[in-house]
Amino acid sequence: MDPNLNHNDSDVILSTKKPFSERFKKGAKQWLDVSPFLLIGLAGASIFVIYPLIKGIVMSFQDYNIIPGAESPFVGLENYKKAFSDPAFAYAVRNTFLNTVVTVPINWFLGLFFAVLINIQFVKYKITFRTLYYLPIITSWIVVAFLFRYLFADGEDGLINFLLVNLGLVDEPISWLQNQWTAMIVIWLFHIWKTVGWTVVIYLAALQGIPKNLYEAAAIDGASGIKAFRFVTIPMLRPITAFVIINLIMGAFNFFPQVYFITNGGPMGQTEVLQSMIYKQAFSNFNFGYSSALGVMMGLTIFLITLTQQKKLSNQKFM
Amino acid sequence: MNGNVFSKLIVYLFLILGVLVFITPFIYMVMTTFINGAYSLPKPQEVFTAVPNLENYEIVWNKNSFFRYFLNSLLVAGVATIGSVFLGALTAYAFVRFTFPGKELLFRIFLFTMMIPLVLAIVPQFTVIKNLGLVNTYWGLWLLYIGGGVVGSTFFLRGFFETVPKELEESILMDGGGNWTIFRRIYLPLSKPALGTMAIFSFSGTWDEYFVALTIIKDEAMRTLPIALMMFQGKYASNWSWIFAASLIAILPVIIIYIIFQKKFVQSGHSEGAVKG
Amino acid sequence: MNAWKKLMTGAAISTMLFAGGCSGGSSETGSESSGDKVVLDYWHTYSDQEEVILNEKIKPLFEKEHPDIELKLTRMPYEGLKQQVIAGVSGGEAPDLMRMDIVWVSEFAKMGALQEVSGMDRFEDVKNSVFEAPMATNIYDGKYYGVPVNTNTKIAIYNKDLLEKAGFNKAPKTMDELKDAAKKAVDAGAKGGIGIGGSNAWGFLPYFWSLGGKMTNDDYTKFDGFLNSEESIAAVEEIANWQKDGLLSPTILGGEPGAWDGMKEDQYLMLDDGPWFYSILGNEEGSKFKPEEETVSGLIPEGPGGSRSVIGGENLVTFAGSEHPEEAWTFAKWMLTEEPQKLMAEAGLIPTNKNAANDPSVIENPIVEKYVKQLETALPRTPIAEWSEIEAVINLNFEKVMRGEMKPKEAMDDAAKKADAILQQ
Repeated sequence: MDPNLNHNDSDVILSTKKPFSERFKKGAKQWLDVSPFLLIGLAGASIFVIYPLIKGIVMSFQDYNIIPGAESPFVGLENYKKAFSDPAFAYAVRNTFLNTVVTVPINWFLGLFFAVLINIQFVKYKITFRTLYYLPIITSWIVVAFLFRYLFADGEDGLINFLLVNLGLVDEPISWLQNQWTAMIVIWLFHIWKTVGWTVVIYLAALQGIPKNLYEAAAIDGASGIKAFRFVTIPMLRPITAFVIINLIMGAFNFFPQVYFITNGGPMGQTEVLQSMIYKQAFSNFNFGYSSALGVMMGLTIFLITLTQQKKLSNQKFM
Repeated sequence: MNGNVFSKLIVYLFLILGVLVFITPFIYMVMTTFINGAYSLPKPQEVFTAVPNLENYEIVWNKNSFFRYFLNSLLVAGVATIGSVFLGALTAYAFVRFTFPGKELLFRIFLFTMMIPLVLAIVPQFTVIKNLGLVNTYWGLWLLYIGGGVVGSTFFLRGFFETVPKELEESILMDGGGNWTIFRRIYLPLSKPALGTMAIFSFSGTWDEYFVALTIIKDEAMRTLPIALMMFQGKYASNWSWIFAASLIAILPVIIIYIIFQKKFVQSGHSEGAVKG
Repeated sequence: MNAWKKLMTGAAISTMLFAGGCSGGSSETGSESSGDKVVLDYWHTYSDQEEVILNEKIKPLFEKEHPDIELKLTRMPYEGLKQQVIAGVSGGEAPDLMRMDIVWVSEFAKMGALQEVSGMDRFEDVKNSVFEAPMATNIYDGKYYGVPVNTNTKIAIYNKDLLEKAGFNKAPKTMDELKDAAKKAVDAGAKGGIGIGGSNAWGFLPYFWSLGGKMTNDDYTKFDGFLNSEESIAAVEEIANWQKDGLLSPTILGGEPGAWDGMKEDQYLMLDDGPWFYSILGNEEGSKFKPEEETVSGLIPEGPGGSRSVIGGENLVTFAGSEHPEEAWTFAKWMLTEEPQKLMAEAGLIPTNKNAANDPSVIENPIVEKYVKQLETALPRTPIAEWSEIEAVINLNFEKVMRGEMKPKEAMDDAAKKADAILQQ
């Protein structure tokens, strides 16, 4: 077999203790082999993603001025310190945390649940179901935001209030966006409704990738139905679960249209999240350095939170 | 057998319940577009009793030379999608099938860039596009969409490429085929569902994209649909029927693309590796 | 399979092109000359009707008088506009000219993005030809960075039926009368009496000022002692009492129905709005609502502080990176003369040029006349570079008072302290 084949153990080169020159030669050869496939993508990522990232990190230590040629003095950790005395930051952190804790498990569970249901053999119209579940995902954020503001409008004329009142579930219409917690609920529902289809589709693709013979083997061993699900499906889905969880956490940290178009942080800044704060600091208050520092802190937090999942990704072995 | 029917019923009940939750807002939105002269928040009773007609669609369509923006968007999103899928597949292949020093580090860097919110990324990105002389061209936009999107698409496709069984490569190697052949003959065809899904993500993402398009494209005639839609929303913020009519016009192509791609590539129901009910 | 191959071939081709992307299809933008003419890039946010006048009357007229200059007009959407300007400025691709919201000018001037115009040809003449208050919104650090191209303010608009039910046959003149009318209207079943549009400066300032409140000292350098003066606290207390007594429309906290929806449905007694409402409502095809028959308008009612509305509008600025500052100024200067000002007034934009604003053809429209009158006493939002950030602080505390989460004195003291801290940064 090709010696360059990846066996999902990329550190193999470092662990074999060979003289440096030999290792270098081997590394260079490996790079030469991979370069036709890697270089264009790497160039694109370097120019449009990694370079702006580095620039953003540098900016976070500066009192940054965007005018070309203007001076941007370094201010050390000033921008980072500022966050901890900013009351808006406390709300943003709290809400970002809540958004993650609330939406990630629900999203994950519903996604897996519906994917498994659709994937059950006897279920007909699989494509139709998936298409319908996927509809919110391919609809633009702004349109869905408009739709949710419309559905959750105050008073009796919003559809949700209309239904709740007429079904006798509440006595009088709820002012959804006027209270912190009802506003948060709208934001969460918006997010889950908009994104759960993504989880469904990913899990469906993964479920369909599980080879049939595994189930046949399990059936021979007397495992079927729930048991087969537990001992075959769940382990087989593990790597994709890591991918899904990382993405869901990133999605929950990146609440922006959810807040910006629905409450714009209100009432009284109580639904503000990190992402909307970062946006406002940059484009409303022109505090570019501070905005970047908030972004860096948020990125590091996600990176650390998802570290265990990332390890699962690196070690993933499907077959 | 009775238990079986019962469990089937339960499964369908849940599935249909899910469909209702996802579809009701859309239906309500569509019904709202049938109301004429909705200058204030329409009452649910009005919405339920609205008679289907296309008048609002006509008004909206004629008001904003939407057709032109529509074609612009199709061109922008179409090329960006093809480019993104191709480049993403290429890069993911590099990560999955090859070993090279620094791979793990590079992958972690890729991941990290996805986690940091770069609201200010547009500043250096725009400077690059400007230095290439590509401001106000679709090339600039494509470059930014494809180059900026490669990290996400690589991350996405990598997971699926990992599932491609390595044994399949042997026959190609025996026939004297190289890395390219393996990419073309094995990875691409076997990952069709993933590539199709990727294409849909990519298309709907670029189709909706507003801010970068507005920054790079200065000429009004070259603008894309989301920009036109945003201007429209700014003007008629209180006319819900028009806003939703315009929104539906804008969503429709994505839905069509989705249905096409899904028929072609995401062959659900064929490779039944399912749990037995 | 075939379609797939085609697709991938297409992808391969486009990627190759993309890799060598710089070679093809680049066309320069910006303000280079085309032939002998200087092309001025001009960003604006005019509405549909206004844009028609701009394209069909203003542009030809200007280019006829200045054959060496060509205007390249680009209409920008509001959403994310500040981001667009920032991206443009940072990339050296900002337009030459822009018509921007008056509160942005000092912010962008502080950033160094704008060209100072104080020293330009005949600046003093231009300055003297326009109203003082809109002109003042162009000052940053004692220098001017733009000129006011159109101005506006808000007046009070009442629902005729509800007003009559409350026993008034014309618009209330004083804050006490307004309160009285609101009480009677609400008692008679109206959902809202006094219509403050939201817990933000643009919404509450007319009431705050008219009730005697003050933002800063006269040279806008200090909030402490002004924003939290006895008069200011009393003004906020009065508004808080209106809220407590149910006299304010739910719009103060973003509730439904919207201000105009409530007006149309005879639910709100009063709201305040700028001159644009007239053309917007008049252009609603198929709407049953007739603003001129069903509403009555008047100046913002007088209180201890007078009848003080808030000034809005747009200024014309030149970006520092412009290669043609002289030509840009030529246009700005020209745009403020009587004729173009009167042309734009056709679309309901209130001229900043004093002669144009008082021209019989302009004030013949009774609505415009009221706005021009209101402008005589209207005040600008504090014209300082830190306004966006400070406004957020004040808005938040004001909202807290309206929701009963903070006492007026505590809220204003806190806001004044924080505002001064931001100023000192």
